[in-house]
Amino acid sequence: MKRPEARAGDAGIYVHVPFCLTRCGYCDFNAHAGLDHLKSPFVEALLTEVELAAPSWEGVRVVSIFLGGGTPTTLSPEALGSIVDRLRERFDLAPDAEVTCEANPDTVDAPSLRRLRERGVTRLSMGAQSFDPAVLSALQRIHSVSSVRRAVDDARAAGFDDVSLDLIYGARGETLASWEGTLDEALALGPDHLSCYALTIERGTPLGREVALGLAAPPDPDLQADMYEAACTRLGGAGYEHYELSNWARPGAASLHNLGYWTGRPYLGLGPGAHSFREGVRRWNLRSPERYVEELRGGRLPTGGEERPSEDERRMERLLLGLRLAEGVPASWLPIDVAEDLFARGLARRDDGRVALTDPGMLLANEVVLSSS
Amino acid sequence: MASVTHPIRNFAIISHIDHGKSTLADRFLELTHAVAERQMREQFLDRMDLERERGITIKAQAVRLAYGLDGEPYVLNLIDTPGHVDFTYEVSRALAAAEGAILLVDAAQGIEAQTLANYHLAEQAGLTILPAVNKIDLPQADVEGAAREIAELTGVPQDEVLHISGKTGEGVGELLRAVVERIPPPRGDPDAPTRALIFDSTYDQYRGVVAYVRVVDGTLPSNARVRMVATGHETDAEEVGVFAPDPVAATALTAGEVGYLVTGVKDVRQAKVGDTITLARTEVEPLPGYREPKPMVWSGLFPEDGDEYPALRDALDRLQLNDAALVFEPETSRALGFGFRTGFLGLLHMEIVRERLEREFGLQLIATAPNVELHVAREGGETLEVHNPSEMLVPGTYERVEEPYVLATILTPSAYLGPVMELAQDRRGSMEGMRYLSPERVEIRYLLPLAEIIFDFFDQLKSGTRGYASLDYEPFGYQEGDLVRVDLLLHGEPVDAFSAVVHRDKAQAYGRRMVERLKELIPRQLFDVAVQAAIGGRIVARETVRAKRKDVTAKCYGGDITRKRKLLERQREGKRRLRRVGKVDVPHEAFIAALRVDTEAGGKGR
Repeated sequence: MKRPEARAGDAGIYVHVPFCLTRCGYCDFNAHAGLDHLKSPFVEALLTEVELAAPSWEGVRVVSIFLGGGTPTTLSPEALGSIVDRLRERFDLAPDAEVTCEANPDTVDAPSLRRLRERGVTRLSMGAQSFDPAVLSALQRIHSVSSVRRAVDDARAAGFDDVSLDLIYGARGETLASWEGTLDEALALGPDHLSCYALTIERGTPLGREVALGLAAPPDPDLQADMYEAACTRLGGAGYEHYELSNWARPGAASLHNLGYWTGRPYLGLGPGAHSFREGVRRWNLRSPERYVEELRGGRLPTGGEERPSEDERRMERLLLGLRLAEGVPASWLPIDVAEDLFARGLARRDDGRVALTDPGMLLANEVVLSSS
Repeated sequence: MASVTHPIRNFAIISHIDHGKSTLADRFLELTHAVAERQMREQFLDRMDLERERGITIKAQAVRLAYGLDGEPYVLNLIDTPGHVDFTYEVSRALAAAEGAILLVDAAQGIEAQTLANYHLAEQAGLTILPAVNKIDLPQADVEGAAREIAELTGVPQDEVLHISGKTGEGVGELLRAVVERIPPPRGDPDAPTRALIFDSTYDQYRGVVAYVRVVDGTLPSNARVRMVATGHETDAEEVGVFAPDPVAATALTAGEVGYLVTGVKDVRQAKVGDTITLARTEVEPLPGYREPKPMVWSGLFPEDGDEYPALRDALDRLQLNDAALVFEPETSRALGFGFRTGFLGLLHMEIVRERLEREFGLQLIATAPNVELHVAREGGETLEVHNPSEMLVPGTYERVEEPYVLATILTPSAYLGPVMELAQDRRGSMEGMRYLSPERVEIRYLLPLAEIIFDFFDQLKSGTRGYASLDYEPFGYQEGDLVRVDLLLHGEPVDAFSAVVHRDKAQAYGRRMVERLKELIPRQLFDVAVQAAIGGRIVARETVRAKRKDVTAKCYGGDITRKRKLLERQREGKRRLRRVGKVDVPHEAFIAALRVDTEAGGKGR
C-alpha cells in the first residue's frame, strides 16, 4: 500500500451512510435498518451535497476518504463508486489517497469487492467484532464467524492490500480466554490493521436498556482492562504497532484518515449527522436521513449546528486527541506535576520532549486529561 | 375525694403514641363546644405542619375548656404533653403544671413503655391518676385485659378504670365528669408574691416569645414588668390570656390558672421551660425542678456546598429563637469543611432540626453520625466536655473518661424476654429490675450507656420482638467507660468526620464494619487506596480500593469530537463535586451513606 505524505492543510473527507441490515444491540450511531426506500434519494442527496460543499474547499488537497456508517456496503458498489467519482471530480484528491470503505461481512462477496476495488476504494475496514459465536450473539450481530473469514479472503482476492478488522471486547459472557481466541483468529487472517474497541454501553441502545433495567450487568472494567492488555501483548508480539489507543497496524499501515482526527487535520463530513472540522469550527449535519434528503432536494446544505470551541476547549480537545496517539503530545501541554505523577505511576513516558501514555496510561486517558486541564 | 369548690381543674393526658390522645382531646373540644364544628379538624392540638405530618406532638399546649356539670360551671385546663423520649424534661414540667392526669391506654395494645415512664413521672409529681381504657370500639380490643394491667400498675381498683372510645365518643362524658369529681382543684395562695411556672415556650414571628404558664401563687397581669428567676432576665411583658383554643386576652391570670404570656423577649432562651416568672422587684423562691436544657446527642452539620456556611449559621440562629434546647458551635472538619457541631435533646430532636434546616431553609446538609457528650478527666482535676469524637484525647493523656447513661424501661411480651435481655447485655446494659404486668407482659429496667441506645438500639429491639416491645428512657448521669477512639484513614489520612468513640471491646468490630462499608463507597482512584481503621496508632482493619484501570472513551464517533469533549466536561463537573481527603476524591454521597447509622430516628412508635 502507498499513502500520500500528509502535509499541513491537507484534509480528509468522511461520508456517512446511515443504512444497516439490522441494528446491533450496542450501536448508538446514526444507523437505521428498514430505510431501503431512502437509498437512492440518499445517494442523490449526497451527490448534491458534494456539489454544494466543494467550492469552499477549493485549493485544499484531500488525502483520505472514509466511507463509514452505518454499513456503506448496503449500497451497491456502483453507488459507492459514483460517490467516490464525484468526490474525485470536485475535490483536489491526491492520486494515492487512502479511500476506506467499511463493510459488514454479509453485505459483500467476491464480485462486489472486486467492483469496489476497481472504483477506487483502496482500503477495506471489516466489522468482524468477534470470532466467538456466543459473543457475536451477545452483541446481536447477524453475521457468522465463517462469513468474516470468507469476506477477508474475498477482499484479498479482489486485490485489497489494506484490510482492517474491527473487534469489540467485553460483551456479556466473553471471557479473557475467548477474547484471546478472537485475537488469535483475527491474526491468523493476516489483517494489515486492527481496531479493538472496549464495548461501551450507551443509553438508548437495546443493551443500554437491559443494563438500566438490571437485566444485564455492564461490562466489568477490570476484565476489559485485562483484555486490552492481552491485545497489547498479542498484537505487539505479532509485529503490529499500537499507534493509537484502539488501533494497531503493520508498519506503514496506520489509517491516514483516522490519524487526521487525532492530529487536528481539517475534515469535511458528508451525509446525515456527519461532522466537519475546519479553521477552528466544528459543524455537523442534521441527523435524520429524511430531513437530510429533504434539505438537499431543496438545494440547501443540511447543516444541523456548529460551534467554535473556546481556547480552553480546544486545549482540552488537543490533549484528549493527542494523548491517544503513541507519539503523545509535546511535554509543554501537561503541567509538570501531573506529568511527573504519571511517570511515577508508569502511566506515561518521556520521549524526546514529548509525553506519551503507556499502554496502562492510555486506558486512563480521560483521567489524565481531566487532571491536566 | 376532693370537694368541688373551686371551678378550675388542670390535667394532662398520659398515653403512648397512637393510643388516641389527640382524638380524645378533639372529643373534649367538641363536648365543651370550644371549637365550632365547622372549624373542627383532626388533631386540632397539633399545630405545626411538621408535627401534623409526623403525627406527633412536639410542643405542649394548654387548652381551656368551659364545662358545665350539674348546673355548675367549671374551667378545665387540658395541658398537652410532648410524646417522645427526647422531651422527658418538658413532659415533667407540663405535669408539674397539673393536679391530675388521665392515664390513657389502648385496649388492643395494653400499657407501653412510654405510658409507664410518664406514669412514673406523674406519680412522682403527686398527680391524681384517672385511668381509662381507650378504643373499646376496636374489634380486637381486650378491655378487661388492659384494665387489669392498669389496675396492677396503679393500684386503682379495676372497676374504677373508665372505658371509653375517643373515636365514637362513648364514655367521654363520664371521663370529663371524673376529671371534675376526682382531680383536686389547684392549691396556691392568690395573695402571695407572684410565681408562675413556664412549662413551654414558643416563638411567634409577630409577637416574639410566648410562654405557656401555670400561675402557682399571686397574680400575673397583662403589661407587667416581669423577671425570669433562673436567667434573671427582666422584660416588659405584654398580654396574658388563655387558649380557648384560640388565644383570648385577659387582664390577669391568677393562682391556679393556666394560660399564655407574651413575654416581650425575642429569644426563647430568655424564657426557658421550667423557669419561674415573677414580677420585677419581687423576691421569691423559685419553683422547684428548673433545669438547664442539656443536649444529649451531638452531630456535626455541614453544608454540602461550602458557600452555604453563612446560610447555615443564619438558619441555626433562627431556629434557636424558638428552640432553647438547640446549641451549636463552629466546627472545622478537614473532610467536610466548615460547619457546626450541634447539640440535640435526642435523635428525634436531631431529625426535626435537620429536616427544618433542609425544608424551611433549603439547605443541603451532610450530618455526621450522632454521638454523645463525653467527660474526660485529665490529670490535675480538669474535666473536658468532648462533643466531637475527633477531639477525643489519645489514651495516656487523661485519667478517665465518663459517658452518659440512661435508665431504660422496656416493655415486652414475655415470649421475647430472652432476645431483649440478650440485646441489652450486648449493649453493655445492667438490669435494674423486672416485673410482670401480666403473665404475658413484662417490664424490664436497664441501665444502659446512651451511646448504645443511639446506635440502632430501637430498631434492634423492634426486630427482635416482632415490633411488640416498647422503649422509654431517662438520663441517669455519667459513668466511667473503657472507651477508645476509632479513626478511619483513607490512603493514610485520617478522615475526622468518620471518627467515633466506642467501647474497647467493640472497637475492632466497629472499625471493620466501617472499613467494609467505605470500601464499597469510595470510588476507585488512579492508585490503590488503603481504607483503614486505627485505634491509637494501631491499624485494626484494612481494605483496599483497587486502582481504577480503565477510564477512556474507546471509540471516536466519526469525527464527532464535540461529543467526546462534552462527555469529558460532564465528567469534570462530577469531579468538582467531590471532596478531596488527602489525595483521595470522595463524593458527597459516600459521606452521607457512610455516616448513616442504621437508626431510624424515630417519631411515631418510638
